[in-house]
Order: sequence, then structure tokens, then C-alpha cells
Amino acid sequence: MTKELYYQKRRTLMSILGLSIGIALLIILNSLSLAYRQAAQVPLKEIGADITVQRSGDVPKDLAGAVFPCSAVTIRKEEVEKIEKLPGVRGIGTGLLLWVFDPNRAWIVLGIEKENSIGPSIIRSSVTEGRFFEDGKPEALVEQAYARQFGIKLNDIISVADHKFPVVGFVDASRAAKIAVANVYLPLKEAEDLAASSKGLQSVSPYAPGDVNLLFIKADQEKITGLASEMKGILGDKATVATPDSFLKLLGSLFALSDKFALAASLIAIIVAVLIAFKTMAGNIAERAREIGVLKAVGWTNRNVVFQLMSESVIQCFMAGILGLLIALVASFGLSFMKVNIPIPWEMSPTPHFLPGGGDQIFKTLRLPVHIPWTLASFAVLLSIIIGGMTGGLLGRHISKIKPSEVLRHE
Amino acid sequence: MSKSAILSGTDLSMKYGDLEVVKGVSLAVNEGEFVCLVGKSGCGKTTLLSLLSGLEKPTKGKVTLDGREITASSEDELALFRRDNVGFIFQSFNLIPTLSAWENVALPLFPIKMTNEERRRRATELLGKMELGHRIEHLPSALSGGEKQRVAIARALVNNPKIIFADEPTGNLDSSTGEAIMGILNKLHTEEGVAILMVTHEDELAKTANRLIRMKDGEIMS
Repeated sequence: MTKELYYQKRRTLMSILGLSIGIALLIILNSLSLAYRQAAQVPLKEIGADITVQRSGDVPKDLAGAVFPCSAVTIRKEEVEKIEKLPGVRGIGTGLLLWVFDPNRAWIVLGIEKENSIGPSIIRSSVTEGRFFEDGKPEALVEQAYARQFGIKLNDIISVADHKFPVVGFVDASRAAKIAVANVYLPLKEAEDLAASSKGLQSVSPYAPGDVNLLFIKADQEKITGLASEMKGILGDKATVATPDSFLKLLGSLFALSDKFALAASLIAIIVAVLIAFKTMAGNIAERAREIGVLKAVGWTNRNVVFQLMSESVIQCFMAGILGLLIALVASFGLSFMKVNIPIPWEMSPTPHFLPGGGDQIFKTLRLPVHIPWTLASFAVLLSIIIGGMTGGLLGRHISKIKPSEVLRHE
Repeated sequence: MSKSAILSGTDLSMKYGDLEVVKGVSLAVNEGEFVCLVGKSGCGKTTLLSLLSGLEKPTKGKVTLDGREITASSEDELALFRRDNVGFIFQSFNLIPTLSAWENVALPLFPIKMTNEERRRRATELLGKMELGHRIEHLPSALSGGEKQRVAIARALVNNPKIIFADEPTGNLDSSTGEAIMGILNKLHTEEGVAILMVTHEDELAKTANRLIRMKDGEIMS
């Protein structure tokens, strides 16, 4: 079988190359689409969540004492409980983000749960010096760059909105997620007390202990989109629900826009490649009409002829599939060095936009996680074999109908 | 003791559109007989050969080969019948250029369930008889015209046929090579007892046959 392919080297190479490029494009486009999808999950995954929820409200009247950012106002305890009970929600983390304007300093304060793998309490693993919170103690963790800037040392007592907290540790926020970063981290209960006792905050967004303004939700992957709209239903129009899909849209890339685009583009590539392979193979088989006449004359049945041509075609297309896979592997290795900047929406940026640097767009920068899943690789090789079988079968059936007497008449 | 007919064609006609190429021909070839079909180019000899060998179905008439009426058989049945009973030798050899000499000889055996060693053994044995034992691995492109035709003869014999159909087997060869090929065919007929129906336009070659049938304008003259 392979002898014929070797003898027709040029044609064989042409059809193998044509199809392999199509197969490679199919793999690369889908791997890229997958990589963008995975990249879009990173900002949320970093904080152990699949969905984050906030609600925007009014701008604080006076920038004094503790206030809520206008992008994150009160989410009531009952609303949190409703969300927690939604089918598909696997876990929930909460946070309370405050801007605190003291006479000589402004703080971004984040109240976090002591222990929860979902949400900002995962900052526990970013403590670089000192320790994490202990139960029931009014303590503070300070972001290490901020501490350096303002000369805050371990065991110093800091005053946040007239509440005193000993600094028990430093946190490296550069290693943490871009969302839910702060200058000072407090136990959630302490942040709740700050919020509850702030008249300025209460006048803009009534708040009671137990309420929060940041929700981090772990959910069943296939239910994320549905859950997002249900949460909007619970929290109203002003809710900001961030999902991997919403980050994907922010990326703006063609691949990020839609996996349907990747599918359509790769299908077009495959169709073009199949047509090239089909045309080349058809030319090859047409040239072998006399040879096929000989086979039939010496006793090969139509089935024998079709099987022979189909086998040659399958081998050829299998080789194209393997070559396509190799091309895609090399290309994906190259593409994996590509960096992608995922914009963090301003609503999710904890820094007040009116402070220096606060209005700057924040990006999460990461290397595009391009890899070829074995399922995609197997599918591509299987597809090439199917193409080979179908092409060989179709052409074989057509050519096997020739009458040996017609092609064997001597010149 | 008279021999029975291995092949018989009765009232065979073949029309291509309005053109009748073979007109009501009847003929028979006996077991072990060497029959030559002679006539000018275009007289219908090759078409008649195709009808008698089951390569083509007649517009009218019937063909009986080894006691079986083949005219009504399907294309695949005919192919299998040819594989088991018939050998072909063509003017232009019709060897597969990508296959070696032994593979070309074994070509009819590939669809049959047998080991490759067995195929090779049978092909090599026949090539040895054709004095081509040293050329078994060579591609047709490396063989001379006479060698190619000897490979084709070996291919025609690989299935132990009851009859060989030869269509101008020396037509592409020089006279001395042609004589050698005719010598092989004669030997096959006399020593192996294989029936041969050969088409030629050369009267000289036809003289070696047991019987000569002349054709003209699609009809048998004598």
C-alpha cells in the first residue's frame, strides 16, 4: 500500500501537506480558544472563585471616615443566603471592602474571613512576615509595599477610622489576585464594626453587621452563566457579576469573542484542506485508471479495489494528521510565550479612582496557557483518518466502476 | 479421445451505439488448444476477446467458460471467475510500475487469503520458469520489453488458469524477442496443456497455433 504513496511522492506530499495544515489549524485555533478561556478564568481562579458579585451604589457624600466604594455597596445578609441556596453554588466567600479616609492617610481596607478557600482569605498564603489572624482578636495585616512606604513595622499599632489594631503580619499583594487587594486586611468582624459605626457610610448605603459588599462564589462550571443571571435577579440591575465569560469579552480577541468563531474558522480550514487533499488524490487515482483496470482484469473485485484505495488514503491522511499534530505542537510551544493582559474592570479595582494611580487600568498579565489537550489531539488524528476513509471510499467507489476492457485496450 | 470445449461463444454481438463491432460470432476453444484470432486492426478481435474472457458483456449471445455460462454473472462474480480460471497477457504488458516483478506476478493472489511467503514462493517459482529468477525484486522500469512480457506471462499463470487470453502479446516487442515469447506460449500449450486464445494481426505468428480463425468487420471468415 505504501509503495504507491512512495512512488507518487510529489502528489502524496502535496495531499499530506494540504491536509496537515488544515489539521494543524484546527488544533491551533481550538487550543488558542481554550487558552484564552483558561486565561479568562485566572483572575477569578486566583481568588478561588468562579463568580464575583458586587453591587454599585451612590458616591459617598463626604470622603471622611469609612465609606463604601461606589462600585461595592451593601449586599444584605438575606441576599447572600438566597444566593448560597441557588442550585449549582458549591461554596461562597465574603469580603467587606472599605475606603477609610483618616485625617492624614487614606486606607483601602478589606475585611476577610479567617478561613475560607474561596475569596480573599486565601491571602493567608501570601503572608511574608509575621502571622495570619488569630481567632477573635482585633488585628491587622498590612500590604508590605504599603508598610514600607509609610514605615509601618510589625507590632506597630495602626489607627483605622479611630479603631486601633496591632500589625501582626505583612502580606505580599503582588502575589495575590488583582481583585480584592488592599492596604490593610482586617478580620471580617472588625471591618463590619467599622462599617456599622460609620455614619457617612450608613447615610449612603445602610449597613448592618452580617452584610457584606463582596461575594466570591464557587459554582458548577456548566451553571456559571445561568447563576450569573439568577444573581442579577436577586440583587437587581446594579449588580456587577463577573464570570470567566465577562473577562473573556474584555479580552476582545477574536478567539476570546467566541469559541464558535474558533470552531467555524477551523472547520473552514479543514474543508479547504480536505478539498485540496481530495483533488490531489482524485488526480492520482484518475491517473491509475489503467492500473485499476489491470487489477480488475486479474480478478480483483470492486470491493478489493475500494479497500486498497481506501487503505492508501487512510495511511496518507493518518500521516497528515500526525504531521498536523506535530506542526500544532511546535506552534503551540511558540504561542505559549505570548503574554496576555486581562483588564480588570474598574468596579473590581479596589483603589479609589481619584487617588494617584487609581484611575489607571489594571491588568492581570500572564503567559497564554496554550496547550493541546489529548482529547483534541486524538480528535484531530481520528478526524484525519475519517477523512482518509471517506475520501478513499468515495474515490474508490467511483473509479472501481470502470470497465477493464475500456482502459486496457492497447494504444 | 476428443477434447471438450473449455470456452464457447454463441451468437455473440457487441454494439457501441449504432456501431456493431462483433456480429453474431460463434466459436469454441477446446481444452489445451492453441487458437489464433487473426484479422486487421479494427476488425473486432480485441472486443471478441474481451467478450469471451468476461471482461465485457455482449449485447447479444452467450459465453460458456469451463462449463459455466458467464454472460449473466455480475461484475464481481466475473472478477472472481477470472481470478480462478483465466490468465491475461496484454500487448502493453500492463505491469504495475510501483510493484516489483514478483509482486506483479502475485497480483491476482493479493485478495486471496494466503501468507505473503506463499505468494512470493509461487511468484518466484514462475519467474524462475521464465528465466527471470535474478529479476524478482526489480521494478518494471528496470526490465526490458521481453522481460516485462515474461513477467506478464508469469502473472497470467500464477492462478493455474484453464485458458490464457493473449492480446497481441508480441506487438510491442522486436521480432527476436517476439519469437522467444511465442516459444514460451507454445511450450505452455504443449507441455502444460493450457488452452490459449491469442489475438494477432501477424499471420506469421498465427502459424504456430493449432487453429486459426480469421475475422473481418466483426465477423468470422474462416
